[in-house]
This record gives sequence, C-alpha cells and structure tokens, in this order.
Amino acid sequence: MKKKDVERFEKVSGQLERVYEEITSLSKKSPNDGVNKFKLRLVNKVLEAANSLLDNKYKPFDDFSVFDEDTLPSNSDVAFILAQYLNCMENLRAENIQQKDYSVQWYWVIDGETSSEKTTPPKKLGRR
Amino acid sequence: MALVRPRLNDFYDLPFSQEQVSFAIPLLDEDLPLYVDPFLLWKSPSQQDNSLHAQIVNSFNYLGSLFLKDRKEDAINLLIKLSECDEVGLGNSRSRKGLKIGPKIAAEILSLFQDIPQVQKSGFTHFEEVQLLVEGVAQDRISDIACNLLMSFLVDYTIDECKRWSIPTARVKVDIYNCKSNQFVSETVDLPVNPETNSSVVLVPKRWLRFVSWINFSDFQEHYFAKHADTERFRDRVAILNYNRKNYGVVQAYVTMRESARNDCSNDPLFRPIPIISMKRKTQSLAALKTGKTDNADKEYERLIAPVLASAVYPELDFASTQSRTISNVLIRDLIFYNNRACDITIDLYKLYESKQIVMEMKNVAVLNNDHIDQLNRYMKEEFGRFGVILTRKVPPKAVYKNTIDLWSGQRRCILILTDDDIKLMGQLYESKQRLPIEVLKKKYIEFSRDCPG
Repeated sequence: MKKKDVERFEKVSGQLERVYEEITSLSKKSPNDGVNKFKLRLVNKVLEAANSLLDNKYKPFDDFSVFDEDTLPSNSDVAFILAQYLNCMENLRAENIQQKDYSVQWYWVIDGETSSEKTTPPKKLGRR
Repeated sequence: MALVRPRLNDFYDLPFSQEQVSFAIPLLDEDLPLYVDPFLLWKSPSQQDNSLHAQIVNSFNYLGSLFLKDRKEDAINLLIKLSECDEVGLGNSRSRKGLKIGPKIAAEILSLFQDIPQVQKSGFTHFEEVQLLVEGVAQDRISDIACNLLMSFLVDYTIDECKRWSIPTARVKVDIYNCKSNQFVSETVDLPVNPETNSSVVLVPKRWLRFVSWINFSDFQEHYFAKHADTERFRDRVAILNYNRKNYGVVQAYVTMRESARNDCSNDPLFRPIPIISMKRKTQSLAALKTGKTDNADKEYERLIAPVLASAVYPELDFASTQSRTISNVLIRDLIFYNNRACDITIDLYKLYESKQIVMEMKNVAVLNNDHIDQLNRYMKEEFGRFGVILTRKVPPKAVYKNTIDLWSGQRRCILILTDDDIKLMGQLYESKQRLPIEVLKKKYIEFSRDCPG
C-alpha cells in the first residue's frame, strides 16, 4: 500500500464502522424498514470509497457495488452488507501491517517497508 | 369502457392530484359528498372569507326584508332560485342535478323573519340556523344557497384556477346573483364544461368544505337540546323545530356555544388517510387472516386491504372507487386509483402503459393461478391501459410469475403481484416515513422489469 492509500483506508474504515453502528441500531429496532434516501446515498458514498480500496481480491461480492435506491433495501440488508465490507477491510489491513522486531506495536507496511505509522493488531490474529 | 368515477382533470388528461390544488376536483357524473359550510368562512382568519360571509348573510337577510316589506312573491321566487346550485356539484346527487325547494318551504323560511322577533329586528348572523327552525332544510340546501350567493366570487376563482392548471374552458351563460341589485343577472363567462352534460362547472375552494356543517340539527339535538330540554316532550324533529321557533333563545345559545368552539372547526379533506395505529392493526390482522372464503375471509381481506392501499399510496395516487364485476360466475373486486402522474413510477405507467387509472384486483387465494392473471389481463384495456396489479396473499408459483413475464414479452402488458409481505412493508414505511409506501410498487416494477427479456 502507498501512504495515501493508508490515509484513505483509515478514513473509510472509520466511516464504515460508524455507519454500521448506526444502521445496526436501526436494524435491531425495525429490521424490515426501508432506509431513507438520504442515509442510503451516504452509505453508497462510503461503499464506493471502500470499493476503490478493495480490489476484486478483497471485495465481498463480485456482483455487488452499491445499493440501488429503487429496490428499497431494508435496515437489515444494509447492516448485512456493511458487516461484510468491514470484514473485508480488516482482511486488507491485516495483509498490510507488521510488528517491528518482537515489539507489541503494529505498523503499516508502506511501499513494501514497515513504516512508522502505528495501527492496532489484526482482529483475527489466527488468520495471519 | 369509460373512466371509473371520472373527475374533471381525468377527462381532460390533466396531471394534478387533489393534494396539489386548492379546489375540490369535481366528479363528472355525480356530486362530491361535501358541503360549503358558511361557518368556515365566518371563522376563517382571511378577511376575504369573512367579508364573503358577511355578504352571504346580508343577502339572505335582504330576502327577509323584502318579505317583510310586502314583496313576498319576489322574496319567495328569489329564494327558490337560490336554493339549488348544480354548477358546484356538491351534495348527494348521483346525477349532478338537484331539485329546488318549493314555494311552501321558501315561504316557511322567509316567515322566520316575521315570526321570530330577534330575527325580525336584526336578521341572522349565521343563516345555517334555518336548519334548526324549518323542516326540509338541511346542510345541502344551506350549501347551495351560500354557493349561489357567492357565485360571482366563485366564477372569478374558477377562471383563475383554470388558467393556473390549464383546464379548458368554454364560453357559457351563467345566472349570477348580484349582491348590489340583489337580483340574478345572466352573464357570459369562460368556465369549464362537463363534457357529459355540457353544463358549466364552478370550482369551490377546499377550505370551505365539510362533510357535515358545523351548525347542524343532529349536533343541536344531541349535544344541546337533549341536555337543556325535556326530551320526553320533544321526541320528533318537527316538535323540536316548532319549539325552536317559539324559543329562539335556545338556538342563539346553541350557536354561541358553537362559536366558542370554533377552533375545533376545520375543513374536511376529500380523502383522509387512516391513522398509523389503524394501519398497523390492519396489516397485523392481514397476517392472521385465512385464505379462501372460509368464515368470509375474502370479504374481510377486501375490507382490510382497501383502506390500507388507499392510504398507503396517497397522495401519489388518489383513490377512485372499489368496483365489483363478475367473470364466469366469480365475483371480482377491484380497487381503482386515479393516476395523477405525481411521481416517477406513475409517470412511467402512464407513458409506457397508457394507464389513466390503475386497477388493483384483490385475490384472497392460497395459490395464485394463471386464470387469475388472465382475468385481469382481459380487463386491462382503454382507461386502465396495459398495467394492472394483483393483490394476493402469498408469493405466486414460478409458472404464474413466468406467465406475467411472457405477457410482457408478447404484448407489452405488465401485471405486478403484490403479496402480504409487500403490504406489510408498505405499512411499515407508512409508519416510519423513511420512504414513500408507493416505492414498494416501484420496487416490484423494477424487479419485474429486470426479469423481463431484453
């Protein structure tokens, strides 16, 4: 990954997590209710940004990119897709971070080198 | 086949909904069951409405003064002429034609100016009181008299609205009551014309209309008279009317009470969507309802689904009517909607399938079959265009759905099938207001279009 990709990643993954939290709380209340157009447009923006980071290798579904407003996706539909994206973003991150010399701290790998950009440990350590 | 319950704009193919316009869209072959309530003009914050109310009352009181000045014949003739206003098309008539009052009732109304000292001295302030004093006068008569007295204003209003909404007009002769000379004057004006009867049509502002007038006999009897008089002695209407004429103070006290409650008086919309709680109950009852005809489940289904659909798709689609037809000894019930072309999906349905009205057939069956599709397909012609909806309980078998796709492929006819799940989703959106319930119809249409070849 390049430095600017790391910066974009941090921004998009943060947005994805916040949107996921919001939609999950709505989904718990009324899973089958439609998501309004305003929210859906913003969800789609975040998904578009995520799609540009995740190439075909990491994208959760090859035939899904963004939601179609006219098909009236429900809260649970949106929550389901966002969970998939969060998982894939984490896989991408896990592939691009490293520890330095037995340190507990994890760092981004930028242009093939372990950088000084700190990050959190991978969520699924077993998969590395 | 003609339009079902055609409205003026449907005939001229003008795409506006009842919600968008400030007047009640007249029906072409029957009256709207609403009345002009002069009380609404009296309580209106608009000075214009207040002065129009004053004009109505002054003109009516003038008839009384004519009657008292020994010009009884003139007063009676004027009142008879004022007593029916076919141009506005309000009331209960199935033919848009009403009858005038007879000379006897006219004389009875005008004799109030002679018999009741308070009226003789100062006239009426709310001439709706006549309903509480004379047998044979009800809100429809009050409404017609008010419309005739306001005809000059209504004609101007109609001309303005016709220009605004591009409603075609024709040069017609109308008798207009002139409040200065207190006589009917024949004038030639540009008004819309009922294409079926060639009679002129006058539009009435929605803000003046109520289903029941604020001052009315039933309310008087139930909420005032029953509490203040010995009801045992006055069991029938005529006895109460006689009592009122001799004890006008009772009527005045009732009217004062109604005046003080004026903040509760508002105009009635032509269509009132059901409350959210009622929508919720109805969609829940739908889930528990059996299919078929067991325990009259088919009738119950129709009873539940009609208000749910009519409210859910309002105001994008105005509900026209329920309709029954028989095919091969099977009674079929439909819901008919006016296509106002108020949103993208309804514009598409009009452009692609020529749907001036949208037909939704109700089928409370366990399994939808191809016969049901054919029944609706045969019915989809002329005003309904090539689009229809079947409302049913469960997802149809694949073969039936494929039949609808084939119909589109072969004849470019579109039949959408809405199930209980779709109705439930409509109900949910109606409650949450996150999206418009009509978008469920759009969603089904898009899903259908994607399954169509090409």
